[in-house]
Amino acid sequence: MDNTHSIVDGIDPEIMDRLVTRRDAIRKGASASAAVVAGLRLASVPVALAVLSRDVFAQAPSDILDALQFAYILENLENEFYRAVLGTSAVGAQNRAFDTVRAQIVSAPNGAAIQAAFQQIQKHEQQHVDFLRATAIPLFGGTAPVITAADFDFTGGNGTGTGPFARATAELEFLLLTAQAFEDTGVRAYKGQASRFLIAGNTNADIALESALRIHSVEARHAAKIRRIRRQRNPGETALRFSGYVRGGGIAAAGASMIASPPGEVVAALNAIYGGNTPESNTQHTVYNDVTSTATTIDASTMTGLGGALAIAGGDTQLTAATMAFDEPLTKAEVINIVQNFIINNSARGLP
Amino acid sequence: MERHDHAPVIVTRADDLLRLTTRRSFLRAIGAGASIVLLPGVFAACDDSSNDLTGVGGLPEGSLAFDLRTDVGIFRLTQTQEIIESTFYSAVVTHGAFNTFFTADERELFTDLRNVELVHREFLRNALGAQAVPDFSGQLNQTTLAQLLVSRDSIIATARMLEHTGLATLNGAGKYIRDARNLLVSGKLASVEARHAAALRDFGPPAGIAANTAFAGDDVIDVNGRDVKIEASVTVASIRALNIINEPLNSNVTITNPPDATQGVPTADFFPANP
Repeated sequence: MDNTHSIVDGIDPEIMDRLVTRRDAIRKGASASAAVVAGLRLASVPVALAVLSRDVFAQAPSDILDALQFAYILENLENEFYRAVLGTSAVGAQNRAFDTVRAQIVSAPNGAAIQAAFQQIQKHEQQHVDFLRATAIPLFGGTAPVITAADFDFTGGNGTGTGPFARATAELEFLLLTAQAFEDTGVRAYKGQASRFLIAGNTNADIALESALRIHSVEARHAAKIRRIRRQRNPGETALRFSGYVRGGGIAAAGASMIASPPGEVVAALNAIYGGNTPESNTQHTVYNDVTSTATTIDASTMTGLGGALAIAGGDTQLTAATMAFDEPLTKAEVINIVQNFIINNSARGLP
Repeated sequence: MERHDHAPVIVTRADDLLRLTTRRSFLRAIGAGASIVLLPGVFAACDDSSNDLTGVGGLPEGSLAFDLRTDVGIFRLTQTQEIIESTFYSAVVTHGAFNTFFTADERELFTDLRNVELVHREFLRNALGAQAVPDFSGQLNQTTLAQLLVSRDSIIATARMLEHTGLATLNGAGKYIRDARNLLVSGKLASVEARHAAALRDFGPPAGIAANTAFAGDDVIDVNGRDVKIEASVTVASIRALNIINEPLNSNVTITNPPDATQGVPTADFFPANP
């Protein structure tokens, strides 16, 4: 067991990461709470950090609106990707780009099952787009931007149509890997944004948070399904689990061994998608005990209590089980870095 | 939704869940896809904390009581579910018929489930320290456990119910959590439970649910594309109805205080009878 009770150690990396953003906000003139000012006046870095770590979560509704607008772009990206794959995009060129791989889905073993899974997933992405545009964003006084299939380049080429993911249009294994990567990115993005919805006593914030959590778990079902489809096609790739778990971190967690000569940019993208400041291989998690006012960080790969129990039938180590047992967040900046080349630059319309 | 061949099980008071005939009906319902109707009185009864038992089942009084005004109380409920799940999956993978009930692919799934739920159980025990619920895995009702383990279908149906209840509880409780670190941990657990839930429905869909889309079927995802969600009062009723914990401890699984208004207000539940 690795219990740390230091007030600084109790702040997890995700929070530390966000502190930088809030520090910028404070520098730009946002109000700092009296407690923060007092902490800073004491010139005690640990105290100021500890106070900031709570103050940073005193979110404003405008922060929620930003998180919802961000989610709206990601949901459109996913939705338009699946529409193009299925040949139902409103933009003909997007449909035609996937003609080759679409024919491979039809003729693949279990092709009907893959097709049905894609259709069900696309239906949900459309529902998420509609829910965010018609309900969630207006709840906070916002208006969703108009986004169409023409705003995206699913090759990851930022409009060139010849980006590193172009093989997804012509190779089914590559397409399935790309779909999994989008879904797992979605899971990690929602997880990273959840704390922005925390406003005590604000019912609209609660509604938005609960909806975000419920969408987040649907994305996890999608990712798990695609992982299972890929495992069935590649029985030897045991990084892909029938359980749908993410096992390990970085490109190892992608399960990409069947992709011949992946482009360097794709390797880098997969390392980013399953890596980051809190990579999928992370095993340390912080719980704040609000009865004792103590933050405790547990390393699940070394904690006590499991004994030899894990070795009974699976043969997995505690470390391997610990990486599977927790999905990890991505920050907004990390997600934007991953998806920005799939979105054709248009900063005037809020598209990164 | 699936077509029901069985009349719904009507539960009007929490005590109904403790009567043997209802318990049997509940177990049949899990296997057969019947409806379970929990009438409002059930939850009023769940708030009754007038039991003055001490040393319940050899465990301290109130050991499975949950004060949901704290994040700790919310995590204690999750920990209780993880103890039930990990004990159930440990029994599945050591079952004499494990190799005959399940294919190699399914055995990998259940072994992963067992390992991950054990990690969740021990993580929460370590993290909550003195506030953790005591290990009640030695207090499980062996008669109920044997019934749940009787067949491949029963095991998968029970696992689906456990995973969906766990996921729906986390999805419903997130809005009450006060600390961002705890919300993050809850999210880390929730998406893993969602992966479980989808896998189990793939290998053994509920009756009447199309196999190819069962992983995220229309019975568990609403028209806004949102997953299952229940309030904690339903979770507690569900745990008690499962009758997998020995009496008198089972009827002492209670909510001492619901979340207060500053944490949030309850929302409508979304959860099918047979997820």
